[in-house]
Amino acid sequence: MIRMRWSLRGCLLGLGMLLAGAASAAPSDVVDGPLIRPATSSSDPGDLSGVWYIRLYNRQINSTLGRLPPFTAHGKAEWDARVQAEKEGSPIADASSYCWPHGVPRVMNSPYPIQIIQIPGETVIVHEVAHNIRHIYMDKPHPPVLTPGFMGDSTGHWEGDTLVIDTTGFNDRTWIDEVGVIHGRQLHVIERIRKIEGGLALENLVRIEDPEFFTEPWYARITYAWRPDLRLTEYICEENNRNMPVSGHTAKK
Amino acid sequence: MHPSRRRLFLLTGLAALGAAAGVTGAQAIYNPPPAQNLEGVWLIEGEHSAIRTLDGRLPPLNPAAATRYAAAVKARQAGKPDFDTIQTCKPHGLPRILFAAYPIEILQEPQQVTFIHEIHHMPRMVYLDLTLPKLEDMDPNWMGQSAGHWEGDTLVVESQGFNDLTTLDSAGLPHSTDMRLSERIRKLDADRFDDLVTITDPKTYTKPWTTRVTYRRQPGLRLKEYVCTDVNPEAAAKPHR
Repeated sequence: MIRMRWSLRGCLLGLGMLLAGAASAAPSDVVDGPLIRPATSSSDPGDLSGVWYIRLYNRQINSTLGRLPPFTAHGKAEWDARVQAEKEGSPIADASSYCWPHGVPRVMNSPYPIQIIQIPGETVIVHEVAHNIRHIYMDKPHPPVLTPGFMGDSTGHWEGDTLVIDTTGFNDRTWIDEVGVIHGRQLHVIERIRKIEGGLALENLVRIEDPEFFTEPWYARITYAWRPDLRLTEYICEENNRNMPVSGHTAKK
Repeated sequence: MHPSRRRLFLLTGLAALGAAAGVTGAQAIYNPPPAQNLEGVWLIEGEHSAIRTLDGRLPPLNPAAATRYAAAVKARQAGKPDFDTIQTCKPHGLPRILFAAYPIEILQEPQQVTFIHEIHHMPRMVYLDLTLPKLEDMDPNWMGQSAGHWEGDTLVVESQGFNDLTTLDSAGLPHSTDMRLSERIRKLDADRFDDLVTITDPKTYTKPWTTRVTYRRQPGLRLKEYVCTDVNPEAAAKPHR
């Protein structure tokens, strides 16, 4: 099965824009192949295992405010710089442009399927995009000392039918969306994930906090469709990377 | 109370509340039978940069492949292994990723056994409910496709659909897009398992041959974040903004 690999980072180019438009015409919640899993995910709200696919993907993350997040002056300046650079045709590159891990919550807002796997003590999310992997250790505190990383350190626990994931320990190389909402090392993300629509979808209510970039915590809401027909396919960013920034742009402030 | 204990206590309380309200909090997670239970984090034993057959010989390369191999070995010795695509952060592919000296985490579900390789944070899905397509119908890629089934306590995995951009090992054993792998994965005891890997590639080897690797359990180890920066060392060396 070949799904078209449209690159939203490629949107920065006119050609990419056309491709993205063509591909997004196929909604991600339409089952279009033989079922390899039940048509609806299991009736157990604690069983999130299987393949899910984001709905209504937007390269600018969907803040529940219906407007831009509550930026600090610094956050606003960084946003403005990115929007302006893109307008000028010399976009600033984020980590994913170098094929590095996308970070959180960015990786949860990507137009590719994800697979959730639950084993005793751990929930793993395998992302088709650039084979990002999230390890969410259940019912454990964060390690006392964290080395800042792209994906941070995630702990999870259940509150009733909701999986709550707390992620911290980020470096400052990833972005929150693909437009210009970025973050620093103080980023703290809390996701509340639960099944909705009788198991046909997942809701992820994402709380984003970073006092360096936002005056107060804000939320994004992302939903994913149950896709009983999909297996993840191989996505190798390092092969024929269309988004590799031209040398020199990387240093742009 | 220790913070983690307090959290656990709270969680237990919440779970009890949830149960009372008719909500199932903790999910029913699959527990494989002990003899088939490969879950956990494992690390390869020994050094496997130049793999050999079970009786310690060079694999049965055909003449053309032997020439390629000799060139690869020479290039590696000269410090210019241009054949080696992992230098530019490409995937190791199979079977080479099996020989990497980095931890592997195994996750088991009734339909799927998933290997998460720390190196290059590469997942490998072994589907237990998949019949592999015919080789000619497959789009070759780096990791191919893997289908498995249990024969008693042995996980038998068949893989094919590979591109020919990878080598079987660091030394440079070549393969073609016709390569098929057959693996027999079996626990030796609670802390070790064996992978017997048979390589069938008539365009490269005069007959099928087998090599063996053993992995040891790493209790308490978590996979680390592995980021390959060689795709753009210049960017890696600079601050992001």
